[in-house]
Amino acid sequence: MIEPVALANFFTVFFSAAMVIMTGALYALLFAFSRVRGAPRLMPLAYGAYLGLCVSVLTLAQAANLFNNTFWTAIVGLMLVGYLVAPHAIWHLCVGTHAEAPPAGEPPSAKIFQQP
Amino acid sequence: MSALGILSNANLNGGQKLAVKYFSVAVALFGAQVLFGLLAGIQYLNPDFLFGILDFSVNRMLHINAMVVWLLFGFIGSVYWLLEDESGVPVVGLWLGNLIFWIFTLAVVVVVLVYLLIQVGPGELKSIWLINEGREYIEAPRWADIGIVVCVLAFFYNVAATFAKGRFTGVGGVLVLDLIALAGLYLAGMWYTPNISMDQHWWWWVIHLWVEATWEVLVGCLMAYGLIKTMGVRRKIVETWLYIEVALMFGSGILGLGHHYFWIGTPEYWFTIGGFFSALEPIPLVAMVVHAVFDAGHHKLKSTNNPALAWIIAQAFGNFFGAGVWGFMHTLPQINLYTHGTQWTASHGHLAFFGAYATMVIAFLYIAIQRWRGGVYMSGNLVGAWKWKWAIFLLHLGMITMVMGLLIAGYEQSQIERAIGGSDWVAYFTAQAHRWFVQGMFWRQVGGWLFAAGFVLLAWDLMTIGKRETRPALQHPAAETGA
Repeated sequence: MIEPVALANFFTVFFSAAMVIMTGALYALLFAFSRVRGAPRLMPLAYGAYLGLCVSVLTLAQAANLFNNTFWTAIVGLMLVGYLVAPHAIWHLCVGTHAEAPPAGEPPSAKIFQQP
Repeated sequence: MSALGILSNANLNGGQKLAVKYFSVAVALFGAQVLFGLLAGIQYLNPDFLFGILDFSVNRMLHINAMVVWLLFGFIGSVYWLLEDESGVPVVGLWLGNLIFWIFTLAVVVVVLVYLLIQVGPGELKSIWLINEGREYIEAPRWADIGIVVCVLAFFYNVAATFAKGRFTGVGGVLVLDLIALAGLYLAGMWYTPNISMDQHWWWWVIHLWVEATWEVLVGCLMAYGLIKTMGVRRKIVETWLYIEVALMFGSGILGLGHHYFWIGTPEYWFTIGGFFSALEPIPLVAMVVHAVFDAGHHKLKSTNNPALAWIIAQAFGNFFGAGVWGFMHTLPQINLYTHGTQWTASHGHLAFFGAYATMVIAFLYIAIQRWRGGVYMSGNLVGAWKWKWAIFLLHLGMITMVMGLLIAGYEQSQIERAIGGSDWVAYFTAQAHRWFVQGMFWRQVGGWLFAAGFVLLAWDLMTIGKRETRPALQHPAAETGA
């Protein structure tokens, strides 16, 4: 079930795997910035980064021989779906956990706590 | 409370007085880790250096063991630091905590001296009990193993009894449960079995579940407290996220250790389990980025302690790159077959341990020093701020240089030694003599010297920061009361 990477594909595997994380982070970053700043024009860029993530995942899958096995092919599908929905899910969690007003006597979080 | 800027124990509560003892030993051991790392690095370039006097195997062991122990001292100190703040009552059994500190410190000194004075000898049962247990990363002799468990249990008693007597916060609850695992999981590395696969299986429990999982949760608790203290983030928010982290740890972290079982003779289904969790590893990282941006927008990043906040931010990035990017590049079994145990692993290990753990302990050192100096001003326009800024810069520059040097050496090893040479003895030495490996090791050593310079600056800064300040730091009321 494990088909080792060919020598010629070593660099492709390392690079595409790194790009999976980097494009994933860029997607999450742009997605979150778009929501935090209320700047919907950033959202297409976020999904552009996700497109880069898809290319990276597929390149990694090809170079690491993941498509030669049903289990690993399913994992590739799961990666693509998981990376897509994770920022959405975590955004809802962020909004949910920060939604309530601070308790009486406690100031809101966004304050300057230091002397000028 | 003594005058501002003066280092005085009168500024500290009982737990914090004990904490600064742990912090002092932690910094000394951090220095030892750097020193033995430098010596081991020189031996890669010049194998005759100190041969027969202080062999590479001993330097490497001391380098790694010092790291484990200084971080442990840092974590224990950090917990004692927050204990009275969190619980609202004095530490229960503080005398025991003090006694255990001295026993623990003395035991570490004895173990190190034995490592240095008895470097070779027969491998018999007596050696396991008194000199060296022989398991990589946890070489401490059996008596010291038992001592570590006893110390952690005493530490657990201090923490659990204090929270039980005072206020049991969310941070406190997670901390107490985590300390049970911290004491219990270490036991997995203490029994002997003649089957090397079984031995490695249980050994990984200590390395992965003890060092990675229980420490990760511990760091989560410290981060929660640190965010309340440095940014005034609401307790309910950080505790909710702490629960989410623990849920993720139980949901994925435990089975995630499957990627360590690939090549030790465990059943083949570990490929499936390890591969599955390895592939999904980036999801929490992506989630972390979203949360960080959300919080940055929400809290405007206003700080009471700039050095501490800078190190907390460094922790987020270090964890992302060290554990995330460097881990995922070679975690799938299809490529891990070639990289496991090469300098690739060392590259990943250096960045992950520094990024995830060392940064957090250093942040706590700055939180402690602020209070120790009477709640001194430690934000913008701080007197002598260049020291902490250059320390963080040099430590990171040194670490990145080391990590890149090791990465190149590991990349070469994975090809020449593993893929082409088939991992035999000749291939091992062929790879070690290759110019990519040698050049990688040279740059690793350059990085080591830069890191050492950063450490010296950090130690100097910790001794002097806030000394000439006369301005008090204003604290967030919620952070002060622990509300």
